[in-house]
Amino acid sequence: MGVMKIEWLDKLGKRVATYWLGIVAFLMLLGLIALGSRYNFGVVEYAQFVLDGLRAGAIYALVALGFVTVYRVTGVINFAQGAFIMLGPMMTISFYEQGWFGTPALDLFTGALLAIGITTLIGVLVERLALYPARRTLPLTKVIITIGAYLALQGAALLIWGPQGHVLPAFTTLTPADQSFRFAGLLVKAQSLWIWGTTALALALLALFFERTILGKAMRACAVNRMAAQLMGIRVDMMATLSFAMAAILGSLGGIVLGPVTRPTYDMGLDLALKGFVAAIMGGLVNFPVAVVGGVLLGVLENFWAGVTQAGFKDLFAFVVLIVILVLQPYRFMMDSPTEVEPT
Amino acid sequence: MKVRHELLLVVVSIAMVALFVACAPAPTPTPVPPTAAPTVVPPTAAPTKPPATTASPTTAPTAAPKVGVVYKIGFISAATGAAASLGVPERDVAKLVADQLKAAGGIVGPDGVKHEVQILIFDDQSSADTAATLARRLIEQEQVHVLVASTQTGTSTAIVPIATEAKVPNISMASARSLIEDPQTKKMREWIFKPVPENSHSAGKQAEYLKAVGVTKVCHLYENSSYGQDTLASANAVFPTAGITIVYSDAFDPKATEFPQLAKVKASGCQAVVIGAIPPASPVMNVAVRDALPDVRIVHGHGSCSPDLIKAAGKAAEGTVMPCGKILVADSLPDSDPAKALNLKLIKDYATVSKEPISTFAGHGYDALQWAIAALKTLPNGGALAEQRAKIRTALENLKDFPTTHGLYNTSPTDHLGFNASEFAFVVVKDGKFVVLPKEQWK
Repeated sequence: MGVMKIEWLDKLGKRVATYWLGIVAFLMLLGLIALGSRYNFGVVEYAQFVLDGLRAGAIYALVALGFVTVYRVTGVINFAQGAFIMLGPMMTISFYEQGWFGTPALDLFTGALLAIGITTLIGVLVERLALYPARRTLPLTKVIITIGAYLALQGAALLIWGPQGHVLPAFTTLTPADQSFRFAGLLVKAQSLWIWGTTALALALLALFFERTILGKAMRACAVNRMAAQLMGIRVDMMATLSFAMAAILGSLGGIVLGPVTRPTYDMGLDLALKGFVAAIMGGLVNFPVAVVGGVLLGVLENFWAGVTQAGFKDLFAFVVLIVILVLQPYRFMMDSPTEVEPT
Repeated sequence: MKVRHELLLVVVSIAMVALFVACAPAPTPTPVPPTAAPTVVPPTAAPTKPPATTASPTTAPTAAPKVGVVYKIGFISAATGAAASLGVPERDVAKLVADQLKAAGGIVGPDGVKHEVQILIFDDQSSADTAATLARRLIEQEQVHVLVASTQTGTSTAIVPIATEAKVPNISMASARSLIEDPQTKKMREWIFKPVPENSHSAGKQAEYLKAVGVTKVCHLYENSSYGQDTLASANAVFPTAGITIVYSDAFDPKATEFPQLAKVKASGCQAVVIGAIPPASPVMNVAVRDALPDVRIVHGHGSCSPDLIKAAGKAAEGTVMPCGKILVADSLPDSDPAKALNLKLIKDYATVSKEPISTFAGHGYDALQWAIAALKTLPNGGALAEQRAKIRTALENLKDFPTTHGLYNTSPTDHLGFNASEFAFVVVKDGKFVVLPKEQWK
């Protein structure tokens, strides 16, 4: 049965699909503002929602980048990402408060670097010890393995740090008493600037890495066609390990910059990982720019939604979005989108 | 080559584990007492010689000089498992009370007869099944006079039907109202008691304070858990009677990083924010509220009266007020408060059995055991076990001005708790410490 193809309609469809995120987000925003009119919110309130949402969104974007990096190279959805997010701030706090094996307490920067380094090592170990031996299994098996790795790391964290919330001090203090800018009724935490800066820097470095370095190009090659990459002499296994290391860096970095605006606990990772996953799936798990845009939009819309309805419904938003995307799979119709990664 | 490669991996992973351990805070906090738990379970606690003692109640020799039958208290707490951070202090305090009873040589009844008292300490591993099995065993095999069990609402609920059917009084250390009151019939459960205050008492004390300082409109932000919902339900029930309206309420997720609720708090124009949560959730909201509204009055519930609040909220906690169990602020209570001496003595004694600082849970265990002992003291020597259990129940229903760590309790057949909200201490966070805020200073 042949379906008549009208070329211009097809083209229009693809164009719409490419910008679907923006279009849908804009319509949603209008709807949410309409919902918010019940509360007599002014511009200030809406601007505050957007500002706060941008902060969460930046973190979701960082996490989403970790998902996409691993998925493109290995075809695995890596839920251990949640553990990386948690390990970063928790270890930083330990180093900041107690130092490293009896040394006096380290400063925040050194502590954070050490924490990122160790998390990266753990990321590598997760790949080498848990996923590499299972490289010939079904993708589903690998996903379950990453969930297992997440649970194991979370359990270890509970033993080490206990169930209570910990405190990571803000990176910069404007005045000792107040760590926020206030202007025109808006409140911006100094830490938000760190979060936005870190995300932007991470994005720029990732772009440089993938565009300008041999290693980055080799990783992209693995993503495009693993068999061909292997025939070209690229060590695909090493690339998989490298992708986990990068995911660990992105995750722990995100967790650390987020640390001061929350109270890190051993179980903080999964929620953030799931939100990051929602952002990553917007681009079909393979598209870096869409993952970033998706993360930021998710953060803003989610916060808007929680602001104009009951805050208890906040998480509902992200997961309804997730289901809708999984059912409609709009990323399949995008122009110039990399095709799905073939599992080994 | 391959083998060496994998060997390296093993070495590295061992190093990682070592590093994990090294990261741990030096004095490892409360959870998981792996070695302590097994030793406390039956053998050590109960130097049992069952047949002899169980036979004695009925055959109590009338010509006995001064020594009567041995009284047995069955004690169950969650010394391991999810609720270990509550159950371990309770177990430690039970050991302390057992030692004190031994040192005193037992208790003396109204007829001047002396009785040895045994506390049989068991661990329910935070499991309702285990709690139920232990309770049955204590009642049927050990023939205890009274039960003190258990730590959590779930485990205590499992014991309710067992104790009721066997007609054995049980004193729970959990807080839920449903333990002592049937939620459907609103009647007291005949055999169940508890010395633990509830959120509704917390709300009563908060209302008293809010009214005194002239607040009529409050916002209520509660963590999205059954605990948080209970704080809202309590506030909804209690606040209106004091002329206080909850103009806005919403749940919050303790793991959230931004709180759009605060825009509505601002818009609602409430004069105070009541936070219905316990750490680690309550400090998160405390900080967020303080950031968005630097001048608003913040009121916590009694569950937040814990060093964790100050540690996690830092400067944002300064000036927040809350009701609080007296055991945590014993130092700064006025000397006229009868609970002061009691708590200070308990804190001192507790230090001999535990290295941890005292917690309210140790207080709950202590209070429950003191209730049991007070009831045992009213028993005349002799009589069947069932008769004695019934008498203990009656005694537990008639405690008058009974001193506990929380203050004075007055139980009755219609109130198996007997706690009055005014017995809560009311504290303010000042310079990183909880300080009692006397009524005269409420402003």
